Amino acid sequence: MDSDDNRNWDWDSSNCRAQLDEVFFRRHDYIQAGSPEHREFWAFFDRFQSFKMKRDMSGLATSRDEMSREDRRRKISSETVDLGLPKEYDARYRINLSVCTRDVEERLGVSKHASRHRSSGPGNQEISDCRVALLHFLDFTQRQSFIKLAKLRRDQKNLPIFQYRDKIVDLIRLHPVVVVAGDTGCGKSTQVPQYLLSAGFSHIACTQPRRIACISLAKRVSFESLNQFGSKVGHQIRFETTRTKATKLLFLTEGLLLRQIQHDRTLAQYQVVIVDEVHERHLHCDFLLGVLRTLVAERPDLRLILMSATINIKLFSDYFRSAPVLQVPGRLFPIQVTYQPIPPEEQASRSEKMDPRPYLRILQGIDQRYPPEERGDLLIFLSGLAEISTIQEACQIYATHTRRWIVLPLHSTLSLAQQDKVFDISPTGVRKCIISTNIAETSVTIDGVRFVVDSGKVKEMSFDPKAKMQRLQEFWISRASSEQRKGRAGRTGPGVCYRLYAESDYDAFAPYPVPEIHRVSLDSLILQMKSMDLGDPLSFVFIDPPPAASIQTAITYLKEQGALDRRGELTSIGSLLAQLPVDVVIGKMLVLGSLFNLVESVLTVAAALSVQSPFLRSSQHNPDCATARQSLHSNQGDPFTLLNTFNAWVEIKGERGGGSRKWCRRRGLEEQRLYEMVNLRRQFKDLLKDHGLLESNFSTSSDGDRGQRRERLTERKKLHQMKRDHEQHESTKRKVLKMNEGQDEFSSGSDTEKTGRGKKDKKGSGSNVDIQEVKFKLRHNMSELQDAVSVSQDLSSRQQALLKLLLCRGLYPQMALPDEHNTSRKDSDQVFHTKNKQGVVMHPTSVFATDPEVLLVPEEESRDTEANKRESSRHQLLAFVTLLETNRPYLTNCVRVPALQTLLLVANTIDSNADCTRLVVDGWLELELRNPEEALKVLSSALTLRAEWERLLLAQLDHNTSRGESTQGVSRKTTEKLSEGLVRYLMYTEVIYSLRRITALQMQNLYIGPQTESGLSNLKSPGLGSLSPGTEAKPDPIKGGLQVTSFFTYNCLADSRDLYSECLRTFWACPNCDLYMPLTPLERMQHETSCRPAGEQQQEAEPESGQKSSSGMSSLSRVYHCDICNKDLTLTSTEILKHKRQHMYSANN
Amino acid sequence: TSSHVQSDAFNIFSCQLCDLRSPYSYYGQKPPNTRAIVLLEECFVTKDPFSPDREKFLILGSECSLCRKRVCVGSDCSLFYTKRFCMECVNKHLNQFPHQIQAELAKKKPPRDPKSVQR
Repeated sequence: MDSDDNRNWDWDSSNCRAQLDEVFFRRHDYIQAGSPEHREFWAFFDRFQSFKMKRDMSGLATSRDEMSREDRRRKISSETVDLGLPKEYDARYRINLSVCTRDVEERLGVSKHASRHRSSGPGNQEISDCRVALLHFLDFTQRQSFIKLAKLRRDQKNLPIFQYRDKIVDLIRLHPVVVVAGDTGCGKSTQVPQYLLSAGFSHIACTQPRRIACISLAKRVSFESLNQFGSKVGHQIRFETTRTKATKLLFLTEGLLLRQIQHDRTLAQYQVVIVDEVHERHLHCDFLLGVLRTLVAERPDLRLILMSATINIKLFSDYFRSAPVLQVPGRLFPIQVTYQPIPPEEQASRSEKMDPRPYLRILQGIDQRYPPEERGDLLIFLSGLAEISTIQEACQIYATHTRRWIVLPLHSTLSLAQQDKVFDISPTGVRKCIISTNIAETSVTIDGVRFVVDSGKVKEMSFDPKAKMQRLQEFWISRASSEQRKGRAGRTGPGVCYRLYAESDYDAFAPYPVPEIHRVSLDSLILQMKSMDLGDPLSFVFIDPPPAASIQTAITYLKEQGALDRRGELTSIGSLLAQLPVDVVIGKMLVLGSLFNLVESVLTVAAALSVQSPFLRSSQHNPDCATARQSLHSNQGDPFTLLNTFNAWVEIKGERGGGSRKWCRRRGLEEQRLYEMVNLRRQFKDLLKDHGLLESNFSTSSDGDRGQRRERLTERKKLHQMKRDHEQHESTKRKVLKMNEGQDEFSSGSDTEKTGRGKKDKKGSGSNVDIQEVKFKLRHNMSELQDAVSVSQDLSSRQQALLKLLLCRGLYPQMALPDEHNTSRKDSDQVFHTKNKQGVVMHPTSVFATDPEVLLVPEEESRDTEANKRESSRHQLLAFVTLLETNRPYLTNCVRVPALQTLLLVANTIDSNADCTRLVVDGWLELELRNPEEALKVLSSALTLRAEWERLLLAQLDHNTSRGESTQGVSRKTTEKLSEGLVRYLMYTEVIYSLRRITALQMQNLYIGPQTESGLSNLKSPGLGSLSPGTEAKPDPIKGGLQVTSFFTYNCLADSRDLYSECLRTFWACPNCDLYMPLTPLERMQHETSCRPAGEQQQEAEPESGQKSSSGMSSLSRVYHCDICNKDLTLTSTEILKHKRQHMYSANN
Repeated sequence: TSSHVQSDAFNIFSCQLCDLRSPYSYYGQKPPNTRAIVLLEECFVTKDPFSPDREKFLILGSECSLCRKRVCVGSDCSLFYTKRFCMECVNKHLNQFPHQIQAELAKKKPPRDPKSVQR
């Protein structure tokens, strides 16, 4: 009868469902129409209905029910307590929820009565059916979530560390420093912070060596402590933080905690500091421990917990005055170790490729011994990329043949998408064969590995302080690494580890890897120590002190870079550099760039040079990628190519948003790196603003009308929601690998294939949100970024010249000279020399590797005078970012610059002969100029420009240190004038000169050496000498000659040509004033530096900049005693000359 | 035994049978933001940490209507049939429960424990 009334009710009709939505899923209801739960409900509803239908049809239920009732009635009588349970079973009784919607039903007029009159619309039955389904759905979702919770708690309890929970908390309460040592899988990283939280500690900082670990641990711990959306657990890394005032537990990188100590010396913001993975012995970690060691003594209330693998625990305990150690067993399954040393005939010599046979034998062995249905993947540890690709190629052939393996490489230069594949699952009967660098030893943990092959080798970056060179060398691993690699086989079940070396080799391995502090350049570390006022770096108590020579090299380097003064104290630029979380070199560029109108370009270049190259190595030989990249290339140098690439990318993002992904793929670019660049760039900009080096943004106040603002707000809200959704579904992303998965690498870049894959992904994961794009939009203001980019796009040749100079000044002394015989060499054999390392080559990724002609001195303009003295006005040098030695020493990230101009503007020392036609720069490059007149002019212009540049830079830096006072920064006008001057100097200086390296033999007799007082008398004529105001020119005690400025020593070169030219006066007319008199070269330079064109001088005296210019004037003038008048006069150098001229004329008269 | 959770101060719910512990944010029959939904017993409730929506709730447990033990809603510790019963009480009064429930429990019990399989 009821069904008659509702003849036209159709559960499948969306219209009918919508009517029920009006009852149960309104806007303010627990589940809202349109939400994911709402969709889930209707899916559940369908299943539920069909289940009911089936049960009703079987008809069995009722008859059984009758029986049971009988049954029960009988039994109750015999019992003491009546539970008062309903007589008839109904599944609904098992649900502890109910849903009240009577109000709506009444409003809609839904009742038994009403339903008769309504031709359509839900009747009582429908409402009731829907309600029952909803109850079951709610119960189902409750059950689902509770099962997850119970499993979570069970897993926590099953962790080995769980039993030590109370012990750990007790120890921490009693001791200021505690060492918790436990091996992989014991749960220390996730559990110890939670134990502390639940024991009532708050303000906990937990450091991690890797950024990615900060994010994942914060997420995991927050999840386990069930406040996933609360803010009690957060992370903070370079570009992002989830920290709020309520944060009780913060995961952060070691470097970041160190930076916090710079501002908060006693770390008052924390009650507990946990330093995790101390055994990895990263540079920052070792340093952090040293700083914390002193801090613990100062702050007895601070608790410090060191967490480590069970490696060298005593070292840490001893360092902290025998801190108590709690050792927790790891959770590893037994692993069978087999030593299979490589037979001599299969051992590769240095030049040869690796022999893949030992590896193939293991694959075969596994196939023979273990049935394919027994799961378990293989992880091979090799030393480097070349080795990986050799073995990968061989294994792939085997895999294609047997169809039982999917071969996947894993190393840090792969695209992230390719790296992620190692986490995907192989089809049944097929094993993954992951061929990895030591990245899989600690950084990347892959579950399901049952077999490990350990080559016993690792390539490690070491630093050669003598050549200032990074060196990537192959070493035997340590026993600790070897054990770590082995352990990777026993995470999910018993495993096997094949060691491709003998047990005796193993015994001969070093016990532990060499800590980073012994391997790398200490520049940034020493700078940071200086800025933290930690005293003499040589006497700082490190856990394992670095060699003194290495500290000394760093100090020398920092002095060269101008970050430390001669006494080793921090300069004002140095203290600023210490604040910037980048390489000293990059930091310097940023500071320099902020002075000029080039800041946008410098920001981009600095960011680009601080991240891994976005150009994927694998696509380098792909002709399609090469063609597509062509337009991005700049033959000015790699930093310019990076700049072009970034600019083009931002433009594409502005036009197509997420479509940039495809654009990148076509060009063989890893988009992730570009995202990193844009983030870093933003951070740099903020830092410069914070330090007053950049005007705070003029457009920060929200522009646009209210409507636009609201639009942006809703857009942001949507983006946030997308981000949350993505984070929620992230864990369920694992895909099943295709059989041909690993083969991509050989044919990578073929666009069609990859887009095909992209489409598949889209279908698979439902919502294929490009999370990077979402984060990008949340973080950056597109129009602001586009503005910034458009400024740095299509730089004029003048801007380009200036940008190069800034890069050079930052990079100096990292310069290389092309070999004089390069003209006659093949493109690939071009050779270069740096000051400390000869015969280096261009890295194959550099633009100059493909286009070396632009470095050659144009043939028609050069003249060979002597054997190896080529004269030209177009000599070039290369400034480079790193010198990296792998199998050969390579220059990376190079930019070409005009040699003479650049050297004179940035070199640390310039030595000259008497007429300045011979210049030696930093004791390794010799420039010989043909024309003494030109030489003098070129040198004195450089001195003038440098003095002005230095003055403005200092003014800018002082301005930032003494902020608050009404000191004005450097005016735009003055910087524009300077940059104009620099550009003109760089571009229009046309002098013919030769350029060559100084040989060791020449070096021995380079300088005149110290001279007797009498010999110098003629140089000390009053009023002369100082070119940089305020410092008196002194004879150089070692080289001889006269130290004119901090970088320029006049007439110290032993020069056979002309012994008297230093005191030879020739008549000279100053173009700026009416001076015309005979002057020595030095006097002339002296005059030129202080004499300005008339117009300029007047401007200086203008009242608007009156205060500053007057102080500038006063520093230029000094007391001069005139022997003729016998009076002390306060005069500038020019005035002194004029004054002397007066006497000369009067004497003549 | 006194049926009180020792860590009430921190709002921690703990199951007296399986010792599952978890903080709770609400105790009662009408958790916040549940709108038309009403609980049919007084429950320990927290925000559902597994739901992307921050407003969803999760029932952790409640008191056994017979012995007043605090028990979690896990099927090993309790069941709801018009009221909450801890597993101990269910086993004591198994006969009063409908055969559907009895069958279900019999199926679920590990076969190692022959006593509980007995009808």
